[in-house]
Amino acid sequence: MNERNDYTGNTEIMLDNIGMTYKTDDNKDVTALTSVSLDIQKGEFISLLGPSGCGKTTLLRIIADLLTPTQGTITVGGETPRAARLAQRYGIVFQSAVLYDWRTVKKNVMLPLEIMHIPKAEREERAEKMLELVGLSDFANHYPNQLSGGMQQRVGIARALAIRPEILLMDEPFSALDEFTREKLHIDLLKIWRKTNKTIVFVTHNIQESVFLSDRVCVLSPHPGRLSAVVDIDLPRLRTMELKNTPEFTALVAKVRGSFEGV
Amino acid sequence: MNMKKIRRRISGFALPFAFGVLLVILWQTQALHMWMGTDTITLPLPTRIGEIISANFATISGHIRITVIVALGGLVVGSVLGYAIALVATVFSKWGAGGLTIISAFNAIPIVALAPVVNNWTRDISTDVSLRSTVAKILVVTISCTASMSVNAFRGLTELKPFSEDLMKSYGAKKITVFTKLRLPNSVPYIFTALRVSVPASVIGALVTEYFAEETVGVGRQIRENIVKGQYPTAWAYITVACAIGIIMFTLLMLAERLLLKRRRAQ
Repeated sequence: MNERNDYTGNTEIMLDNIGMTYKTDDNKDVTALTSVSLDIQKGEFISLLGPSGCGKTTLLRIIADLLTPTQGTITVGGETPRAARLAQRYGIVFQSAVLYDWRTVKKNVMLPLEIMHIPKAEREERAEKMLELVGLSDFANHYPNQLSGGMQQRVGIARALAIRPEILLMDEPFSALDEFTREKLHIDLLKIWRKTNKTIVFVTHNIQESVFLSDRVCVLSPHPGRLSAVVDIDLPRLRTMELKNTPEFTALVAKVRGSFEGV
Repeated sequence: MNMKKIRRRISGFALPFAFGVLLVILWQTQALHMWMGTDTITLPLPTRIGEIISANFATISGHIRITVIVALGGLVVGSVLGYAIALVATVFSKWGAGGLTIISAFNAIPIVALAPVVNNWTRDISTDVSLRSTVAKILVVTISCTASMSVNAFRGLTELKPFSEDLMKSYGAKKITVFTKLRLPNSVPYIFTALRVSVPASVIGALVTEYFAEETVGVGRQIRENIVKGQYPTAWAYITVACAIGIIMFTLLMLAERLLLKRRRAQ
């Protein structure tokens, strides 16, 4: 499965036999993830799909170095995840936009750049560019509370991209949005992905969403969380809303749905 | 939208104001006295109170100054101290929540009990009665303002929106950066929550602690002195002034809050 040759670049993220075991309060072991091995290619759009409790968010947090796995090894561009995190190679988009409500939209996008001590003029320029990319230039001086949920999440994406990461990690970023807004953001996200050539790891529990967006869908099954299938999505890359009405799309959705075990 | 705004204005300002005017009318026409079974000596008429305030304004404003200094002094020292305690509790989060519970317990000590104890502490700090009396009063107000700030500020420094700490971690931000860019700004609305409690508390604290102070000055003390001497109209003049101090300080706080938090809370 990893012997793919339609990617010119090499492997960006290598997961080897990753496992995660928690201790509960009454000292019992709970296995959140067991033996996940996966290679993610440079520039690839890959989804981690599964129901609650399958460990998909845990896996993303392990890649992001927000969690340390109890088993296995992970390398990101040849480095440890910690080195990758400290080198700001990750842009993360969370389930909620996590905007700081005392900062304007533009200042929110500039936040990571301030922490990286990038000079003010460049911070401004980069923030403006990113807001243009997500179509929110007119809202630069608004406060987060003045924006809709969909707009807030777009600011979150702009902020994640502002540090020019190689990898965009997205944890159910559109799950709190309504269907119409979500579909629009799918198209926007694919546009941004084409423009910026990032590697995107996208966590979702929505089968259609994962098929529509991804090059590959990693199907994770629960109890214990494990990788039960990786489905190639060989649909044309320039994806439009009409694609969802084609038999090819429906067939892939059915195939992905059929790959779950024990749900 | 506009209708809503107007309605909010009416319910927030016009109604209480109209009620106040009605009360003054009932008072002035002695309807109030009839219902309460009292006379105009024990409860002087508003016009009489007004006359006394304007006739003795120089003396009264001297007492106002003393009371406001005590209230504001204790409020500032107590709030700064409370915020500092909250910062320490946040840094040492293991002990923080427990430590704050102990601080809150101090808040339950009534001023009546606290004032004599504090008077004992300050007995030897100066030969100047006015100075040591002022310090004692400020200390009492300080104690009554510390707890609300430390408890609320601690919440503001630690109750962060989900993932906002993860976001900082993903940038490899240092602990101090998490404080300056996230925790401190996050605590600002909580500071106002604390002040909504401690501003009125500081005024009441100042008035009450004057009762037990060495020096017989301040608006609160003058209420007592004049009641003891049976000078009810003058006592009522000071009661009116005391109310005004409380209302003005609270109004200023509300204005400051609206100015500073306006954009955060904009819909």
